[in-house]
Amino acid sequence: MKAVATLTAEAARARRLRRERRRGIIRHAVLLVWTAVVLFPIFWMISTSFKDAGEWVTWPPHWLPHSPTLHNYAQIFAFSEMDPSLSRQATEQAFSIWKGLGDAAFICTTSSLLALLLGTFLAYAISRFNVGGRYFRHLILMIRMVPPIVVAIAILMYYAIMIPYATSSLLGVQISLFDTYTGLILLYTVTTLPFVIWMMLSFIDEVPYTLEHAARLMGAGRLTVLRRVVIPLVASGMVVTFLFVFILNWAEFLLALTLTHPEVTTLTVLLNKFQSASEGRLYGPQAAIGTVITLPVVILGILIQKHLVKGFSFGTIRK
Amino acid sequence: MARIVLRDLVKTFGAYTAVDGINFEVKDGEFLIMVGPSGCGKTTTLNMISGLETPTSGEIVIGNAVVNDLEPGERGLGMVFQDLALFPHMSVFENIAFGLRVKRVPEDEIRRRVVAAAEAVHIKPLLDKLPRQCSGGESQRVALARTIVTNPSVFLMDEPLSSLDAKLRVDMRTELKGLHRRLGATFVYVTHDQAEAMTMADRIVVMNRGRVEQLGTPLEIYGRPASLFVAGFFGTPTMNFIEGTIEAEGAGRLFRSRAIAHPLPASVPAALAGRSVVLGVRAEHVFVEKEGERRGEVRLTEPLGDATLVFFDCGLPTPLVAKAPPNTPLAPGHALAFRFAPEHCHLFDAVAGTRLN
Repeated sequence: MKAVATLTAEAARARRLRRERRRGIIRHAVLLVWTAVVLFPIFWMISTSFKDAGEWVTWPPHWLPHSPTLHNYAQIFAFSEMDPSLSRQATEQAFSIWKGLGDAAFICTTSSLLALLLGTFLAYAISRFNVGGRYFRHLILMIRMVPPIVVAIAILMYYAIMIPYATSSLLGVQISLFDTYTGLILLYTVTTLPFVIWMMLSFIDEVPYTLEHAARLMGAGRLTVLRRVVIPLVASGMVVTFLFVFILNWAEFLLALTLTHPEVTTLTVLLNKFQSASEGRLYGPQAAIGTVITLPVVILGILIQKHLVKGFSFGTIRK
Repeated sequence: MARIVLRDLVKTFGAYTAVDGINFEVKDGEFLIMVGPSGCGKTTTLNMISGLETPTSGEIVIGNAVVNDLEPGERGLGMVFQDLALFPHMSVFENIAFGLRVKRVPEDEIRRRVVAAAEAVHIKPLLDKLPRQCSGGESQRVALARTIVTNPSVFLMDEPLSSLDAKLRVDMRTELKGLHRRLGATFVYVTHDQAEAMTMADRIVVMNRGRVEQLGTPLEIYGRPASLFVAGFFGTPTMNFIEGTIEAEGAGRLFRSRAIAHPLPASVPAALAGRSVVLGVRAEHVFVEKEGERRGEVRLTEPLGDATLVFFDCGLPTPLVAKAPPNTPLAPGHALAFRFAPEHCHLFDAVAGTRLN
């Protein structure tokens, strides 16, 4: 009897195991298909970036370049406007991305750091002193609900007309924010600030206030408390927040397009130039730029993976 | 000199009054425990002493100076928090050293003092660990060491043992008492656990609804509770309470309720005759006998080892409890007779709850 019971139990267990394995296979198959769908555009972009002009739009499509070339990269990384060796029909123009890359890196890094610094202090004030009242923290995000197109033209008016006019008539010096680093940095700082405050609030709320009380009783002033206790505990959150707003700024297009030209050029605006080039659509260099734009974000993500995991799993501080 | 004086201290939060005009003095070197139920204002009072809360009105004197306007760090206090508040990102060493670093003490002195503080609470081997690698009891000691290291003249403690398990809590009580004796500092300790207050305190402040109900030594509070609230809050099991009136019969006094009548000592003032009162008597002052005029029936017994609690009905709305010898033969359903020790009967005003005798 007992032996039979054991056998049945074992058979049931084996059946369960088989069922679980089958489910696992299905689950993974679905996920694999989904991953392929999601990653395909990126694959296509990278593949195209290595294709020669003739291969960009062939039918049937070439999944991988038949004669791989670095020409597109050579073209976008060219140091001079016209390198004769790069001249070729349909792509005779070499678009250097150095300027765009530098501008974007400078503007995005500066504005993200500024927003992070300001936002962290603001979030601290809101979390600890209830600045703005009970619903303020929810109102902050509402600012972001305004579509950028609504403000883009208004800001353009300010930057290009009102500020120059006001400064020249009041101070005698004409100051314009249009097509300047300062103009775009200011705007990016302001537009990402709500996100920074919102994200940092969730991290700072997690820090038990008794830690600050303890530090203050030991003689630490408010700034020391922030520097020695609060900031180290939310450092991971700050890294995640920085990455988040950096990506937002890095990919921002509309404001950069409206408020700059020709002095300041970010990568997204530069990318757009290929779209309307008189030579037709330059898919190759465009794909190469796309790849180059993506890389820093991916590298940054890998470098700070530890913080990302920590930052995204709230409640890591033992209370 | 580290006495603390609280004068007419009030703290309100909007319409809610957390602390309602309290006055008391903590003597230099005293171990004073503030005890009371949740929301009685004891932690708010402690936070006002520490400077983490600003009083709405009233004065706080530490030593000889009014400290109302001093920052927490300028008051020369050390505090142990309920959740211990150890800095999770710093090693045990850095946690203990924090206060010294803030005060810019030289590095070699920091090392010497941190090690000394760690030795005083037996945690020297833990110095390189992180707080999360320490057990509950160890974390407790780290929090103590962090407070000791700055040599404060006043220690404030906000339910520091509440996160420990029962056995460790009892051990830590003994240790805290020893620490207090060794340091000779003033301790102000907040707890809701009356047993903790009884075992450790030199004096106890019992608080209720933002007011001081009674201030006295543990034995005074246990033996002569000033109000119905204090009488009910201290002691396990809870004191027996019976509503009734007082009658004067010549020189004698009698307590009479619906179900029972019991003589009271002659020291009860005759002026109380006719008053509605609540009579309180502790379980150890209820004597269970075989024969007697007041009778009851056992409902439940609880053996404690050194004694047995006997809960019995005698016609009152709630059963009375008596502390009987451990080998008592009484079992549920048995009949018994009982009497109270008249000199240990406490009389309280039925309305105001204040002590009458």
